[in-house]
Amino acid sequence: MNRTERLLDLVALLLDAREPITWAELREHFPDDYGKGSDEAAERKFERDKAELLELGIPIRWVVGDDEKRDGYVVDRESYYLPEVGLTPEELAVLYTAGSAALASGAFPGAQDLAHALRKIGFFAGREVATPKVRMELGPVNVDSAQVAATLEVLWAAAASRKYVELTYFSPRSAETTRRRVDPYGLALRRGVWSLVGYCHLRKGVRTFHVHRMRDVTANAARPRSPDFEVPQDFRLQDYVATFPWQHRFHAPIEVTLELRGELAALAPRFFADQPTAPTGDGQGTQVTVRATFLEGLLRYALSLGPGCRVVAPADAAARWRELLTKVRDLHSDAERGAA
Amino acid sequence: MSAKEKSAARPPVHERLRRLLFLVPYVSRHPGITVDALARELSISREELLEELDLLTMVGRPPFQPDDYIDIYVENERVYVDLDQRLSAPPRLTASEAAALAAAAELLRPAAGGALESALHKLEKVIPPQARARFKEMQQKIDAGVVAPYELQPLVGAIAQRREVEFDYFSSNRGVSEPRSVRPLELFSHRGQWYLSAFDNARGDERLFRVDRLQNLTVTDRTFPPAQARSARVPNPAAHGDVRVRFSKVVAPYVRERFGDDARPAPDGAVDVLVSGESERWLAQWVLSFGGEAWVLEPESARRSVERAAQASLESKA
Repeated sequence: MNRTERLLDLVALLLDAREPITWAELREHFPDDYGKGSDEAAERKFERDKAELLELGIPIRWVVGDDEKRDGYVVDRESYYLPEVGLTPEELAVLYTAGSAALASGAFPGAQDLAHALRKIGFFAGREVATPKVRMELGPVNVDSAQVAATLEVLWAAAASRKYVELTYFSPRSAETTRRRVDPYGLALRRGVWSLVGYCHLRKGVRTFHVHRMRDVTANAARPRSPDFEVPQDFRLQDYVATFPWQHRFHAPIEVTLELRGELAALAPRFFADQPTAPTGDGQGTQVTVRATFLEGLLRYALSLGPGCRVVAPADAAARWRELLTKVRDLHSDAERGAA
Repeated sequence: MSAKEKSAARPPVHERLRRLLFLVPYVSRHPGITVDALARELSISREELLEELDLLTMVGRPPFQPDDYIDIYVENERVYVDLDQRLSAPPRLTASEAAALAAAAELLRPAAGGALESALHKLEKVIPPQARARFKEMQQKIDAGVVAPYELQPLVGAIAQRREVEFDYFSSNRGVSEPRSVRPLELFSHRGQWYLSAFDNARGDERLFRVDRLQNLTVTDRTFPPAQARSARVPNPAAHGDVRVRFSKVVAPYVRERFGDDARPAPDGAVDVLVSGESERWLAQWVLSFGGEAWVLEPESARRSVERAAQASLESKA
């Protein structure tokens, strides 16, 4: 009997049972699987099957009997069956929209888990849940999403079971490729890019790795059910990944004031993610105060908004902004080209 | 990475069992569902489904008398199961399933408002009690918190109900806000930015709008007939360009990563990319965003416009 069939038979048997199933009965019911060989080997085989069922969410446990009941294995029906989740159409739509957009991106950690979850929450909803026209694309442009998807699955499984991974990593900053061992703490998606945050054994510290820069990722396959590491209590994933161009975790935050004028004035909260704004002194523009941990990133972002956006304080930030502008201007002036 | 390595992460038995434990209750809830529809629901091929159905006919419970088998069968392309009390509903969500769903749901925060919070709360209640701690733990391990503008939710609704919408749109190509009236077709997130693909009534054509650049959104009562969105793409600036931009050694690795073979090697570790010069404004602001690590080589007119843009920013009044 193949394993899938045996496990299904086990589920059917246990869900149907009126009383606990004893080990002797299991051996008798599955003679080819648990009945042959030593007791110890058969028990090990059953333990592996039981672990698989537990992972599938099947609440199988051993009960110690009393005068009324005998010892044996049971599946608690109450906690096995999915009850009506009772989601409103609006709640269902949110989960469906987000879930199918994530699946449509072609790479999402636990994509199979996600697909099953969507099926399950739709089980009682019937078939009228329409596929929403929302999707997600990964960046940067040249990402091979099949490769990212495969890597994410390995990382997700390793993070879930706390097994270390080994990977080859290309760092654009140093233009070097290194082989590293990493304890995967978690995965984060920012601006279309998936990152792994974890303890790097090569650098002896917590580091962030872009998933698309990894090659040959393998999880430690030894003793799959015993974790290799603990995630520190105070670890927070969001502390290690930047959401906006003005964030970076290595610097102390500074408050930078910018002014937006003309058409940009009304859009200030949009451009700066709801950082505090106020009208400028003359009432013609909007002043926005950004708490930046990465000044250079903020300045470049400000430059990309054009002449309607200027950096006004603190003085050294404003000076650096002018310096960058001057550099770009000079790179494009005739004098500079003559020199080149 | 090969497919083999991928499957090593999780044994196929796990995936199959999960599918089968869903399949039986699903068919008993939808008796007579066609083979094709069922295969679609399970995201597997028709052949794979027929194999699964074959396997199910062999599943039973000891002592394996004829009545002890799951009675699932196909008749005229339709699938039926004789009501099986044991498998009347699928198993509850596992910790990993709930964690993956909760993570995906974050894509729509804060646009989803209260619906997301309450949905997650209900979800947590249907996780088996013994899996809740693990769900919490796994939730900490994944964070897909994309910035989602508030307009996302009304737009999702307008697309579903095929209702026209109106808004003021700030076009960064021209630097002005203008009122638009459109038929919303599709939303997608590209490099972390949300875009709306819509039929622009005044322009008589499909256009792309960045959701964070639209203001004063109104969903109207005007409905429109179903239309097939063309699955719009955000244009790749390097697709057909005549403006040559050089990137210094410092940023070259990142540019190569983004543009692949379109980033051509240049002296001193620099790279060159040919980009579209269709919008002067876009080009100047894009070059500026590299803070002096990128500059236009040719044509002369594009060089002049970047120079003017930098000068204009320097001269802008406080």
